[in-house]
Amino acid sequence: MHTLRLLGTLVKINLQQDLAYRADAVVNILVNLMWLGWELLSLNILFSNTTSLGGWGLGEVVALLGVFRLVNTLMMSLIWPNTEKFNRGVREGTLDYTLLQPVNSLFLISFTRIILWRVWDLALAVTLIVWGVAASGGGATPASLFAFVLLVGSGAAVIYSLWIVMMAITFWLVKFDNNVTILQALLDAGRYPATVYPPWLRAVVTFIVPVAVATTVPLQALRGDLNAWQVLLFLGVGLGSVLVARRVWRAGVKKYSGASS
Amino acid sequence: MTAMLRIYQRLWQVNWAEQWQYRANLLMYLLYWMVSPIVYLAVWTAVANSQGSVGGLTANDFATYYLTLLLVDVLTSEITIHILGYKVQEGSLSVDLLKPMHPVLTSTLVYNLAFKALTLLVLVPVWVVLALLVQPDFSAVTLGNLLLAVPAVMLGFGISFVLGATVTCLAFWTTRIYSISEFYWALAVLFSGQFVPLELMPGALRPIAEALPFQLLKYFPIQLILGRAAPETILPNFMLGMAWLVAGLAVFLVVWKAGVKRYSAVGA
Repeated sequence: MHTLRLLGTLVKINLQQDLAYRADAVVNILVNLMWLGWELLSLNILFSNTTSLGGWGLGEVVALLGVFRLVNTLMMSLIWPNTEKFNRGVREGTLDYTLLQPVNSLFLISFTRIILWRVWDLALAVTLIVWGVAASGGGATPASLFAFVLLVGSGAAVIYSLWIVMMAITFWLVKFDNNVTILQALLDAGRYPATVYPPWLRAVVTFIVPVAVATTVPLQALRGDLNAWQVLLFLGVGLGSVLVARRVWRAGVKKYSGASS
Repeated sequence: MTAMLRIYQRLWQVNWAEQWQYRANLLMYLLYWMVSPIVYLAVWTAVANSQGSVGGLTANDFATYYLTLLLVDVLTSEITIHILGYKVQEGSLSVDLLKPMHPVLTSTLVYNLAFKALTLLVLVPVWVVLALLVQPDFSAVTLGNLLLAVPAVMLGFGISFVLGATVTCLAFWTTRIYSISEFYWALAVLFSGQFVPLELMPGALRPIAEALPFQLLKYFPIQLILGRAAPETILPNFMLGMAWLVAGLAVFLVVWKAGVKRYSAVGA
């Protein structure tokens, strides 16, 4: 309850900050629309030369693009702004004040800065998903839809956990200030089904930087490619990664000794 | 003349030494650069494999295309906005303006070149590993093709440099320069052949792509290297490139001059 109230306050502060830069928000929405046009055009080029991509139809790839954009919104609205604040905190020592607050430090680190107008991206992503699922020909059952929604959540949890681990590593290696670059770089691989990639690339995006777990896997559940055990396994991976990330974070905070000492 | 050469030489030493410190960071940025061509390589190869060929292109054609793209991309791209954009916004450009030389055509240019050299140094080993994984058949590449591609790559870098510098100059007028450069970048990605070899573009977009300068940065040099450029298109493309280079340089000089005037007027 206390945490929820705190989150509400953070949202309010961020809303006030974002409202000061309304024009920026409009420009960014336009740029984002342009990227969407670009992405749809490239899918159009792809599918005018073929009817399926590794067995996936156009509708399914559009839905995948929607899920990719969900993860990308997570990156843009939460991960990047908070990482910038965090890195500055470690470098300049202002992180001390955050750690001294009588609140869970992990919560404060992850949600202090939220770029709220990105909500609009979220709506766009959901539209793409709904449109893609409808266009893919109604192969989805209530059960597979349910699994899809759960796996999107657990995929986002995996990405979130990886981010927390990358930030915690900064406690040991202070100069590690491009900690999320690798995440963003490999995110691009989430636009297409990982099943068309050669085995080495699929291994990278599944196990090392698990972008595919957050993008391809939920869609596979929707297509009915996964059995119940596999769905449970991936949900377990999502839960497990959050637990591991919390542990690594606590160990990192213990190691942290401030910039001045 | 020799004085000018000495200036460039010294700028090179300074820039190289400065950027050499960041070689580890470079590996991360290189990832950014490499992931999207590798993804498209994988996607198009998969499509070509599933149906024999796409528009006459085989899986190997796609593999060689995107692997060559990785190198040509580094050779002809520029990062002027990251060097100059913040200087215009924060006012530290004033220091550069005091020097008795054109800051963009000297130090920004050399910074770009030093960055390119360093990037290649890191890229080449990674590229070799990648080539071993993909195992493309490069037997169509001849020495003559490579020699012909050298001026094309230099021309491509020249064009991309003046265009990028012109876009960066818009920072004199607007603070939203990074959004504008994102627009520019998206155009370049689409029309340069970065996403897809131009022959697979929809019919309506192809003539646009062929007239725009972006194909000269990537698609044209790649086609030359791989020996796929139709002989009758080679000379017209070089002429088109020269025209874009001259026009781009002229526009840049005008915009720069107007921008610097405005910059001092703001009092920055």
